[in-house]
Amino acid sequence: MKYPSRNISLRVMAAALLLLGSRGAACGAEARILPYPIHQKQLANGLNVVTVPYPSPGLAAFYIVVRAGSRDEIEPGKTGFAHFFEHMMFRGTDKYPKEKYSDVLKGTGASANANTSEDRTVYHMTGNAAKLETMFEVEADRFQNLKYSVQDFKTEAGAVKGEYIKNSASPYVQLEEKIAETAFQAHTYGHTTMGYFKDIVAMPDQYDYSREFFRRFYRPEHTTILVVGSVTPKAVEALADRYFGRWPRGAYVSIIPQEPVQSATRYTHLQQAGFPPFLSLNYKGPAFSDTGMDVPALDVLSAILFSEKSDLYKKLVLHEQKVRSLGGGCSDARDPGLISISASLVQADDLQGVKDEIVRALEVAKTKPVDARVLAETKSHLRYSFLMGLDNPTDIAESLSHYTWLTGDPEALNRLYALYEKVTAGDLLRVANKYFVNTALTVATLSPAADVGVQ
Amino acid sequence: MKRTLILLAIFSLLLAAAGAQEVVELKLPRSNKVVIKLMFRNGSQCDPRGKEGLTQLTTALITEGGTSNLTHAQIVDLMYPLAAACASSADKEVAVLTFEVPAVFLDAFYPVIKGLLLTPSFTQEDFNRVLSNQRNYIDEVLRASSDEEYSKLALEDVLFRGTPYQHPVAGTSQGLRAISLADVQAHYTHCFTRHNLTIGLAGNYSRKFLATLTADLARLPPARPPRPRLDPAVMPDGLQVEIIAKEHALGSAICAGFPLSLTRADDDFAALMVANSWLGEHRKSYARLYQKLREARSMNYGDYSYIEWYRNGSGNMLPEPGVPRHANYFSIWIRPVQTAQGLQAQYPELRDLRIGHAHFALRLALRELDGLIQQGLSEEDFQLTREFLRSYMKLYIQTPERQLGFLMDARCYGRKDYIAAMDCLLGKLTRVDVNRAVKKYWQTRNMAIVIVTDKAEAEGLAQSLKTAAPSPMSYSDNLKSALSSDILEEDQAVATYSMPVRAVTIVNSADTFRQTGR
Repeated sequence: MKYPSRNISLRVMAAALLLLGSRGAACGAEARILPYPIHQKQLANGLNVVTVPYPSPGLAAFYIVVRAGSRDEIEPGKTGFAHFFEHMMFRGTDKYPKEKYSDVLKGTGASANANTSEDRTVYHMTGNAAKLETMFEVEADRFQNLKYSVQDFKTEAGAVKGEYIKNSASPYVQLEEKIAETAFQAHTYGHTTMGYFKDIVAMPDQYDYSREFFRRFYRPEHTTILVVGSVTPKAVEALADRYFGRWPRGAYVSIIPQEPVQSATRYTHLQQAGFPPFLSLNYKGPAFSDTGMDVPALDVLSAILFSEKSDLYKKLVLHEQKVRSLGGGCSDARDPGLISISASLVQADDLQGVKDEIVRALEVAKTKPVDARVLAETKSHLRYSFLMGLDNPTDIAESLSHYTWLTGDPEALNRLYALYEKVTAGDLLRVANKYFVNTALTVATLSPAADVGVQ
Repeated sequence: MKRTLILLAIFSLLLAAAGAQEVVELKLPRSNKVVIKLMFRNGSQCDPRGKEGLTQLTTALITEGGTSNLTHAQIVDLMYPLAAACASSADKEVAVLTFEVPAVFLDAFYPVIKGLLLTPSFTQEDFNRVLSNQRNYIDEVLRASSDEEYSKLALEDVLFRGTPYQHPVAGTSQGLRAISLADVQAHYTHCFTRHNLTIGLAGNYSRKFLATLTADLARLPPARPPRPRLDPAVMPDGLQVEIIAKEHALGSAICAGFPLSLTRADDDFAALMVANSWLGEHRKSYARLYQKLREARSMNYGDYSYIEWYRNGSGNMLPEPGVPRHANYFSIWIRPVQTAQGLQAQYPELRDLRIGHAHFALRLALRELDGLIQQGLSEEDFQLTREFLRSYMKLYIQTPERQLGFLMDARCYGRKDYIAAMDCLLGKLTRVDVNRAVKKYWQTRNMAIVIVTDKAEAEGLAQSLKTAAPSPMSYSDNLKSALSSDILEEDQAVATYSMPVRAVTIVNSADTFRQTGR
């Protein structure tokens, strides 16, 4: 194999770096990454209303972020309930029974749906900005006046089971369940958002609890409304006042069990023939913060160690071809979550060797400062990758909703990207030493073998 | 419409004669980026027989390989700080390379694009890596990670058996094993040429850049690839069922369909789009199949219908561009329903159950389709569905990349702007047009049906289908006690709905996608 002169490569790289330099200076370390102002107004009942005018002729993305998810499933036998409740939110009210709600929604021509994860539930629709008032009206109605029959409740439980069944075809989903319950022994991150199958089968009997769940979490103080697109803050805030202003504040506060400090490496394994072997190293990580340096430093370090540009990727994926894909990063979570590094392998025999290579890269990161040029390039990648995604109202609303459910404040997005600019090689050494320790590790493997086989 | 088609055909001929490439532009001076899409009219239908998967492999190797000057690793190094991205996709009739870059870095990135297209390195090392992943997808991942996607590709395998459309775009086990690096090099030379290329450019770029791009791409290989033979699917003779039996399936994933003789090029497409949206709009709770199977009966996670291929339906909420097709088919997608074994394990009252819900689900879906064909849409449903589509279709093109992609796909159908054309046609439609199209194009008697299910379910299900046995719905006592008498009465009618199955075959999962023409 022969590669001719690298001259062109170096010339192009030099030109790129010149451009990076000028661009970086123009942006400045403290610049807000989102080029559109975020307008916020909190109503008297605690509901936060966020508007971002964005030139998308005729379109608006309308998001409702509820800061409740499977993290809040603290009672035994209730795993999967936050997600189940998201389904129930589509079962109607007195004013807009299911069929009428469907017709109104269909009339808006919107793409509408919802999803749930550990820390939040998000309801979203993107559609005709001229129908914004209709969107507000039907959403305010169901968030305040949701009403469903026992029949609807029991029927919807079957749809959730159907979702579990279709997901379960993936070995990755099965492994995810094992990783969660191995890594967490007290905290509710120990079960997946989908929940355990036995709890899903028992859901039809939980009607009364579902009403309690609604009373606890579907309250203005847990909720943010986000609107992005051809709208004005004045109009959005007036609609929020009109339709959500009388929504009563609640009083419930989730007491989430604290996870004790892990004291030894843990292992879990899924036996699966006829599927690519898989390795996942999961270290206990920090809770998300837009003020401390740990999360931004871990994001930068993960990109340096495990992205396509990393030395490890080039070695394992491109040259040795022992690994099909490699990735890693810190999960954004309200409570301390996991930093996960995963590799899909060609041969199960290489599981131990690949694990050793990953650990070796982490050990080097604890002692050897990252090259200044690599650090600058990684920051540039993070910044411009984000900016490239800002070309439609839905994706902007998605980004804002992410930082809203993490902190309650969409400005966390601007603060995090400002912190990326401040990350130093010293920060990377510090977080590597703090988080990548054997006693905080859960090793997960998937292979045809009966047990883990990795030390 | 016909006049437009003729003019476009003449224009295309003139372009071909001049050796110029077709260019689709979407100038967005306020955008912060540039999107370049290069669409080659080849696709997996051009895969040589016995080397199925070659087009996708060649396409992937262009973006995941190197150039005469740069290794793949060096390209990644170069692209990373620029946040430049490149992606490849192949479908039955096209292969598409997509490059996106911040506008300020276009000049820095462009030499890479040029090198990948004009002087791809096609090294043995890159070939081994990309081929290994593609083989792994066909041999293992496809049949062991999503029974839904599996059932859809298996339906195409049945509908297009014996034609160049049959095999998955990613290939077959045997075909991929037979491909060498020399095959890739030859395929690039013959099928990725200046004569089957459409150039797409969106965002904030200059006239000078466009001129440079078109001049450079005029240096692509000079071969004139032959237009592949277009083989429409053969209408199944009666209801033909293929059951794919696999280990440890918790559910039965179902996909059923029959050939359609219309595409986006036809004005009737808008009429059928309205009917289809009412029956089974993708991932929408207000469509009929969803309401009957999921919402009323709790049978699964969702049920939808299609009048053309919908890529990655499990993951996408909106249709993707890059999949223009001339051999079209109608399909019903029933997400996994429960097996007898699963129901027995959950509910003691169902311990004597012999088959799960698949037979009932199929009967219910075909009965709904039949009802629509016989009765047609009401004026109210027609108006609401049309209003929905006229707004909803605008969401297909929210980003510059998607807008450009749909504009380029439109050219494959002889249209300038598919979204605008459909909006215009939808505006003129009447309920009579829709109901006439439904009767003309849809039926329930000839259909291919694929069911991916557990081995323990397969034989009993096959027997039930073959003998047209009644298939009563089996609810848990808890759920049944809550259901309305309307639903239970309708269940009785569904359980014996006439669905005469002509043939049922059971295929071992390990034997699927091994080779073409089985």
